[in-house]
Amino acid sequence: MIEETSPALRDRVQISMDKKSLRQKLKDFPWWFVALLMIIFSSYVLIAINPKYKDAFLFIRIGLSTTITTTLSAFFIALIIGLITGLGRISQSVFFRNLATLYVEFIRGVPMLVLIFFIAFAGVPGVVDGLNVIGHWLQSIGVNFLAAPLITLENKNIDMTVRAVIALSVTYGAFLAEIFRAGIQSIGYGQMEAARSQGMSFWQAMYYIILPQAIRNVLPALGNDFVAMLKDTSLVSVLAVRDITQVARLYAGRSFRYEETYTTLVIMYLSMTVILSLLVKYLERRYHRSER
Amino acid sequence: MNAKPMIEIKNIYKHFGPVRALDGVSLKVYPGRVMVIIGPSGSGKSTLLRCMNHMEVENKGEVWVEGELLNGTQKNLNRIRSEIGMVFQLFNLYPHLTVLENITLAQRIVKKVSKKEAIENAMHQLQRVGIAEKADVHPQKLSGGQQQRVAIARALAMKPKIMLFDEPTSALDPEMIKEVLDVMLLLAKEGITMVVVTHEMGFARAAADEVIFMDEGLIVEHGTPEQLFDHPIHPRTKQFLSQILAH
Ligand SMILES: Nc1ncnc2c1ncn2[C@@H]1O[C@H](COP(=O)(O)OP(=O)(O)OP(=O)(O)O)[C@@H](O)[C@H]1O
Ligand SMILES: [Mg+2]
Repeated sequence: MIEETSPALRDRVQISMDKKSLRQKLKDFPWWFVALLMIIFSSYVLIAINPKYKDAFLFIRIGLSTTITTTLSAFFIALIIGLITGLGRISQSVFFRNLATLYVEFIRGVPMLVLIFFIAFAGVPGVVDGLNVIGHWLQSIGVNFLAAPLITLENKNIDMTVRAVIALSVTYGAFLAEIFRAGIQSIGYGQMEAARSQGMSFWQAMYYIILPQAIRNVLPALGNDFVAMLKDTSLVSVLAVRDITQVARLYAGRSFRYEETYTTLVIMYLSMTVILSLLVKYLERRYHRSER
Repeated sequence: MNAKPMIEIKNIYKHFGPVRALDGVSLKVYPGRVMVIIGPSGSGKSTLLRCMNHMEVENKGEVWVEGELLNGTQKNLNRIRSEIGMVFQLFNLYPHLTVLENITLAQRIVKKVSKKEAIENAMHQLQRVGIAEKADVHPQKLSGGQQQRVAIARALAMKPKIMLFDEPTSALDPEMIKEVLDVMLLLAKEGITMVVVTHEMGFARAAADEVIFMDEGLIVEHGTPEQLFDHPIHPRTKQFLSQILAH
């Protein structure tokens, strides 16, 4: 239909669009974003000039490195789990496909907070016990060099921070798997065909042809999940891991300055997520430009 | 014909569920010869072509490439495929790579050619298809005709013993068909063994040594272009030719 419109008509549409543009631009302008920046900015002014807020901020800041390292390490592990599981989801092998799907559906069916409790207090100890059993068995058949590290593994030596990272990465691994799966499936089958017809193996085609395109396509989605994970690290405060949420709770409980503490905490999360979202958008735009 | 066939297909059957795409097909492709396959849509042309490098695996029968039976082991298959160039209707270039990288990648990772050699060879093939100046752009920036010529160069760069073309011009705008057919004609004249599924009768007359007419999964008629186009024997061949000539 569009091809059928005459050039003259198209020009007229174009002109009327130009005329509208200033009003339209004002309408479309992201005012909400300016407001958001102003909220953040004035909060930091408040933190700078009001000693109560300043105290809260300086205290909560202690948890910042835990929040950031937990996010980064859990996301990195989740990327690996997600990629492997995503490949499993589309595998030809009935076994691997069902195994991957079981994992994804299991995770999706349980609230994240509950999963964190479960993995930290049931999942990790269960795995450790299992490894101990394997260790004893290996010892009984005389494979001592492998047995020793497995037997000495003890639950009480596994730090809550480590359990938190495991819990977050196992949870997010399932989310990222779905992103990777969708990304791989978005690449037309002709790409795999062309690669295989040149004599590449399935994995060579995956690695050199399919995944580079799939990952590019899902970068925005991965970025969004990274931001989401940064927020979800607050849940690990239930494991008494000293992230900014946990530190804030401690501070509020001790100082009774609830208002100052939680306002400061909100602003700290908000400024991190806003910066990250902007970064994701910027990367996305740059990628789209380089595409053309 | 005293030479050994490059590809020999012995009575193959292929079905997709209830659809019988190939229903007992045998043929031999000899070195240096150009075979054109024509036939109505759904007659099994693509399936037959794709069986030649086991992109599709027959349910029954045998496919031999240079005296070697395609027997389903991956090593054997990947090596044989690397010696058979395939050109697709929709080009299937790798969009995340430049034209040059499209042509060097499989040389590097499948044939383990050195980088320098791969690039030299790629540039040579690009000259052959007449677009050496586009080596560093991404395929999306090229016209359909240029993309298909890159795809041909990509296949040639593997130094294939035979080239398979599946309707290489049917996704192209009319004004670009000729530039692709010209390249293919050139290859035919150079003596490259080719199997081409196409409805371009002019190309078939000019380049083909033999023409095969397929219908409903069978080879209905097989002969030289003159025999098949000017003196078809089978009524279904006649009917098909009158239909496409009417266009
Ligand atoms: N992967 C597949 N799955 C199911 N059916 C298929 C598949 N490939 C081909 N077929 C069927 O097999 C028959 C032969 O298909 P084929 O693609 O070989 O025909 P063709 O002669 O190449 O037709 P066209 O001129 O339309 O390309 C058709 O009925 C088609 O629908
Ligand atoms: Mg076809």
